[in-house]
Amino acid sequence: MLDSLMLLAALLVCAAGMGWFALSMDVHWEQVRGKAPHPRALVKTLRVLGAAALFVSLVLCLAVDSASMAVLVWLMAVAGAAVAIAFTLTWRARALSVLVFWAGPARR
Amino acid sequence: MFQNFRLSMAWLHTWFGLVLGFVLIVVFFFGAMSVFDREIDRWSIPASRFEPQPMPSFDKLLRPIFEDMQPLEPARAAMRDHVNGPLPDKFTVPSSWGAYTTHRDPVLSLFVGYEVPNAKLPETNIFALRTVDPRNGTALPDDRLKVGSGFFYPLHYSLTLEWKNLGYWIVGFAALMMLVGLVTGVVMHRKLFRELFTFRPNKSTQRSMLDMHNLTGVVALPFHFFFAFTGLVIFAGIYFPVAHTQLEPLHEQHEVIDAQKTGLPHDRAGVAAPIASVDAMVAEAQRRWAAKGMAGDVGFLSLVHVGDRNGYVSVYRAGTDRIALTGEGIHFKASTGELLREDPPPTVVGRINEFLTGLHLQHFRHWLLRWLYVLGGLLGCVCIATGFLFFVEKRKRQHAKQHSNGARLVDALAVTTVTGMLIAALGIMIANRLLPDVMPAGWPWRGDMEQYCFWGVWALAMAHAFWRTAPVAEGHLAPAWREQCLAIAVLAVVAPVLNWITTGDHLLRTIGNGYWPVAGIDLFMLTSAGIALLAARKLKQRVAVDAHANVTRAEVNHA
Amino acid sequence: MATVTVSRLHIASRAAAAILGGYAFTWGAIVFGAALLVAAGMDFHDAEHLASIVGFLIFLTAFLSAFGVRQLQRVWLVLLGGGALMTAAASLLQSQLV
Repeated sequence: MLDSLMLLAALLVCAAGMGWFALSMDVHWEQVRGKAPHPRALVKTLRVLGAAALFVSLVLCLAVDSASMAVLVWLMAVAGAAVAIAFTLTWRARALSVLVFWAGPARR
Repeated sequence: MFQNFRLSMAWLHTWFGLVLGFVLIVVFFFGAMSVFDREIDRWSIPASRFEPQPMPSFDKLLRPIFEDMQPLEPARAAMRDHVNGPLPDKFTVPSSWGAYTTHRDPVLSLFVGYEVPNAKLPETNIFALRTVDPRNGTALPDDRLKVGSGFFYPLHYSLTLEWKNLGYWIVGFAALMMLVGLVTGVVMHRKLFRELFTFRPNKSTQRSMLDMHNLTGVVALPFHFFFAFTGLVIFAGIYFPVAHTQLEPLHEQHEVIDAQKTGLPHDRAGVAAPIASVDAMVAEAQRRWAAKGMAGDVGFLSLVHVGDRNGYVSVYRAGTDRIALTGEGIHFKASTGELLREDPPPTVVGRINEFLTGLHLQHFRHWLLRWLYVLGGLLGCVCIATGFLFFVEKRKRQHAKQHSNGARLVDALAVTTVTGMLIAALGIMIANRLLPDVMPAGWPWRGDMEQYCFWGVWALAMAHAFWRTAPVAEGHLAPAWREQCLAIAVLAVVAPVLNWITTGDHLLRTIGNGYWPVAGIDLFMLTSAGIALLAARKLKQRVAVDAHANVTRAEVNHA
Repeated sequence: MATVTVSRLHIASRAAAAILGGYAFTWGAIVFGAALLVAAGMDFHDAEHLASIVGFLIFLTAFLSAFGVRQLQRVWLVLLGGGALMTAAASLLQSQLV
């Protein structure tokens, strides 16, 4: 049970990480937040958050399985997360606003 | 087209990708299905719908079965060309007995290798195969087809083309071309990271197809590369058979050294000897694994040089908790049960090889990773399919003006290998439920009939594809796509319904009992029906847009 | 952009170089690599496996270069010539070992 929860957490953290990476790019920021400002400092923060999330995801995977399996699970989770974020950006972009909840309202 | 490196790579990606893509999509799709091959087996053989079992008692259950097994007619027919003289009615000298199981198998696979008298080549063996219920030893009828592990899986790695290993070579070349496609794709795709999350379905078909092609290719790039690469590594002995040709002297030298080092006799002594209690040997093996901190189930049990003084029993641990397949082999003298050898830990290269092959062959217990593998395989299929669609979309108007049938041909082949393949896969599942339990006399075996249905349905889908892609030659969307999507939607509902009618296992019952192998297959098919229906709807909208665009174009041309 | 049309023969030759030349070069690399590793003391099957694993990456590289290198003649020379040389060297080395 604990293992399943940790794997679920790993998947969600991974998705958040990919979301942060996407938001660090101008074109996707605009899809999610419209004309809200996108300063360089924020871009850097988002990239750091993305990398941190992917790292945490890997740690969670390693806590559940042996190293060789955990790395495979993690790589595939990253792939799945990337696809999920890409589709969210295409059809429900604004849902990703939650990832930058501290940055104020979106500007359309 | 070869003026510079990037253009050469683009040409290579386009043309070799296109041609081998038709093979690769089949390999990827049935590879994805093979992740759950044993679950598909249970769906297709209702008598095997019980829980996975541990390896049963050798002494009480397996030994009498091994002694009873004889090669079946298909094996005998295949052997006739390899002997000088007639085959005996009964084979009497068993060289090996083997039993294999995994944590997902309810039934047990058994094989017996018999020596063949008057064989043209030395050390020729003929094999008897049987599948049994490990709880009581009853055999599954020989004419059943394990649609998953016995058909989809061989289709994946050899296209079931056994003649001179031709299928293996085609798949192997396709795998190499997959690697070529990935590298050349990266060379061509300048905005690899910038467009990682880009998918624009509201733009032109050409743009959105390319977006999807890039997305599915890049996000699972490690997966695609590793699976194609490890697939090649697994069959390296077929593609580069160096040990039995140029390097045979080195190989033979090694065999002699190996036999001396391991103490496992290479040949029979020619002296009869009894077989001691194998159950005791298995228990001892499990005790030794536990003592090393690696307690585990038996994955593979074999007895070599059966009934001879040189006979030995090998017990291998199932690799459910790691990437490596089976391991920790422990070998005993068959006539006394004395320990002959405990396999040492693998060498560094041995470990690398085990990791690469085990990664691909997936005998580990990890349901999330399995589903992620299915996702990877399906992403690969989408990558290839969108590649076809992009190719056609880019060229069909130009070809229409030049009165060329090129785009139409590619579109027809694309329909055949994308939706047509899915229709064939559903076709065999339906045939599996509809065919009579025992075929009437004179007919092929039930298992063979199911395979004929698969190929027959695919051929029909191909005929439909070629017929209904005529508009592509005029630069329009082919109706074949929508029609086959609708067919998939219907068939993917019919199959689970037939499962319910013919076995009584409907979703409420299978989910209620927690019998996920069958429930999972039914749910997968129903989900596919939903997706196919959505696709058909989208295609209808596109036809309307396409027709409108053409009316507008005609008006502009007239004006 | 001026398009340069390439003859069918040229394309066929490149494909043949990539497939057949690539195979010959890879065979040579595998047998020579395996023999070298055995000579260095590695177990035969390990040597065979390691050489094959690296071999497929070599095949990939050879295939790409058959299309990427400008002069086709050079491609044929290196792939066939190199393959033959390594194959011969492997047999020579084997005769010293067995």
